[in-house]
Amino acid sequence: MNVVRAVVIAALLLAACVVMFYGSRPLPSAPASFVKVQYWEKWTGPEAEQMRQIVDDFNSTVGRDKRIYVEFLSISGIAQKVLTSTAAGVPPDVAGLWGDNVVQYAAMDALEPLDELAAAHGITRDYYKPIYWNACRYDGRLWALVSTPWAILLHYNKEIFEHRAADLRAAGLDPQRPPRTIEELDRYAQVLTTYQTLDGRRRIICSGHQPMEPGWYIDHIVPWFGGRYFDPSSGELTINSDEAVRAFDWIAGYARRDGVGAVSEFRSGLGGFGSTQNPFLIGRLAMMQQGPWMANFIENLAPEMNRWNVPAEQLRREKDFSQLRTGMSHDEVIRLLGEPSSQQAGDTLVWDAGIRVIRVHFGRDNRVAATEMPLLPAMQRRKFCKWAAAPFPSAVPRLDNVAFCGFDSLVIPRGARHKKEAFEFIAFVNRRDVVEKLCSMHCKNSPLAAVSREFIERHPNPYIQVFEDAAASPNAFSSPQIPVWSEISAELTVAAQKCYLLEQSPTDALQFAADRAQAKWDYFREVQRLRNRNASAEPMRQ
Amino acid sequence: MTRSERKNLRNGLAFLSPWLAGFMLFTLLPIALSLYYSLCDYSLLQRPTYIGAANYRMLMGDEVFWKSLSNTFQYALLAIPSGLAVSLGLALLLNAKIRMQSVYRTIIFLPSLVPIVASSMLWLWMFNGRLGLINVLLAKVGIHGPAWLSDVMFSIGSGASESRFHWAMPALAFMSLWGVGYTVTIYIAGLQDVPRELYEAAEIDGAGLWRRIRHVTLPILSPVIFFNLIMAIIGTLQVFATPYIMTGGGPARATYFLTMYLYDCAFQFLRMGYASSMAWTQLIIILALTGLAFWSSKRWVHYQGR
Repeated sequence: MNVVRAVVIAALLLAACVVMFYGSRPLPSAPASFVKVQYWEKWTGPEAEQMRQIVDDFNSTVGRDKRIYVEFLSISGIAQKVLTSTAAGVPPDVAGLWGDNVVQYAAMDALEPLDELAAAHGITRDYYKPIYWNACRYDGRLWALVSTPWAILLHYNKEIFEHRAADLRAAGLDPQRPPRTIEELDRYAQVLTTYQTLDGRRRIICSGHQPMEPGWYIDHIVPWFGGRYFDPSSGELTINSDEAVRAFDWIAGYARRDGVGAVSEFRSGLGGFGSTQNPFLIGRLAMMQQGPWMANFIENLAPEMNRWNVPAEQLRREKDFSQLRTGMSHDEVIRLLGEPSSQQAGDTLVWDAGIRVIRVHFGRDNRVAATEMPLLPAMQRRKFCKWAAAPFPSAVPRLDNVAFCGFDSLVIPRGARHKKEAFEFIAFVNRRDVVEKLCSMHCKNSPLAAVSREFIERHPNPYIQVFEDAAASPNAFSSPQIPVWSEISAELTVAAQKCYLLEQSPTDALQFAADRAQAKWDYFREVQRLRNRNASAEPMRQ
Repeated sequence: MTRSERKNLRNGLAFLSPWLAGFMLFTLLPIALSLYYSLCDYSLLQRPTYIGAANYRMLMGDEVFWKSLSNTFQYALLAIPSGLAVSLGLALLLNAKIRMQSVYRTIIFLPSLVPIVASSMLWLWMFNGRLGLINVLLAKVGIHGPAWLSDVMFSIGSGASESRFHWAMPALAFMSLWGVGYTVTIYIAGLQDVPRELYEAAEIDGAGLWRRIRHVTLPILSPVIFFNLIMAIIGTLQVFATPYIMTGGGPARATYFLTMYLYDCAFQFLRMGYASSMAWTQLIIILALTGLAFWSSKRWVHYQGR
């Protein structure tokens, strides 16, 4: 028994020692004379670590010079936590909210306006792409700036197009390009959908397109049909416009074509978006709507999709790069990588390695001094991609480059203690070089009007220029700037589901959504009117 | 009260005071405030504005509220009886004198220890329409299983008055059986209290297994069944995490429960006053059903020694 006790005590002591020496450490704290800016961000995992790099960059440059120290805290459920901390009067100085939260929070007086601070830092309308600048504004004021933005495009699997080229041509469609209209999209989808009959039931094996897969932006479908949910000039909702009915009927059309049961069965057998079973990655969905981050998911989960028809030797070379060490001899390098494809100025040898190029710099002793493996320029990488991105087709002739644009925002919650210093950090994140670094790491397009050539060429998404063009397009659109949009969005999503399941006609489903949306919008406006009246009456009473 | 009693009271209260302070500050006060907020328009970010019973009036005309309430009752009707029956059945089996009894008891209890998110993810795959274990097993006996979380089970009526019932609801109720371990443990504890002589007397009178269960076990176990029933009513009427993770309330609000709507109103739509009125309505419903259960208990719950 004594032995057991001794072992247990020793194990506990050992565990205590491990925790003491290797356990968590307090965050590096700010020097005493620095202003401490608290920054809460919603990202976790790699995205949070990448943002932490930006914070470190700030702290070691601008922050050090201006005696500001940003404390970065990655937290989940950001909206609720910012909400409660703001209500309690102890908010962070900077918060990374979802873009759709901005108008909602601004309308409820939970954010500090940023107009003057932005102007003082030279951040004006011209600096930004209009769609993102306008999305950060509400009621004539600026409430947020963008940390990372995105545009939603059509992603299509070129390999499936190639395999079904004959069928596409037979249907009068070009397998070398994506669809350009909704009508074409439907025809492509029909040809690319393959079925199998099992026990007398028709199963979808590969689907050309499914509007609800993944369906994240289904509530935003109407602008592709030429409509809008909200008329900013009149302030009225237009939820069940003719364009909306047409859009929702298009959603229902896919269930009518394949049968609700077959579509349900197909969708229920698909893996999650962030898994290797993502239907686009395993070739079971030929076309879908997604954002620029898809390139990151492809590279991480299905890297072969970025290395289509790359010679095996180059693929091997890309893998062997990790074995290169400084100090290796010229012969050792040649043995590892084979004969170089070219020699650059000085003693630099170059090898093709698929979507990358390997450069090995030799020193005077003819030994490896440095190595690098940068990405090929975007246009050269595209030919190796099994996939491509293009504007999601529109149902209206000559309505080109329609794209839903969303963003992650940086805001200063009401009651923040260090507004000026907080904005120094926000302005730093909005510097072009910083924006491009962060957006490259997060695999997103830039919110800024001007982007560098380097950003486009070296971006992990070889189609980033297409996203840039879409975001800069006059037909780009964002969430309607109404504070009750989250409620309306929920209603529209349910309406889309009802149409997709053929439970209700588009007209009925949208009428129900429109009635509920109108009631919420009317209620919100009435409450705001009463609040404004009470607020203006208060000074008079005083 | 004597001096020593006063001293004991003072000491007792002093020891209780941390809990009392915490209870009053973090439970009682929020409950009281939520009652007030249910009479206000309150977004958490702005001052509450008193609007009387407007939230409750809106609630009565809110179709989504009624839909979520109806879903909650449907779920309760499926999950409560099946949960009570399955856990009682398992408890009876696990109470039998068999080898490795404690191992079986542990196996039955283990799923209750799995975090809800993990078990939800697991069941998402179990219910997978094409690759899920349930459909694979059904296919082996020639049954083509549905897409459990999205297919329609049956519909009533036609046209605008058509009501559709989805497989997702019974699927969620079935999944709730995964966590019967706690209830089984309580039943097993209750079964230990059934006097052996009653079984022996019943056996002498010629009662078979079913009659012994029907006339001995169930009446003596009835207070435990009643306790589990009350807990099940409270638990199922507040179901949230599992459907939130597995279905998000879909398809088309078929599994959108009252607590999910309450959460959305409070934290997604920032309508804290409206959500508070929903919470109080939910409390009243739970109290009413619990009261009903207590009222009915006079007829079927038998306490020993009374």
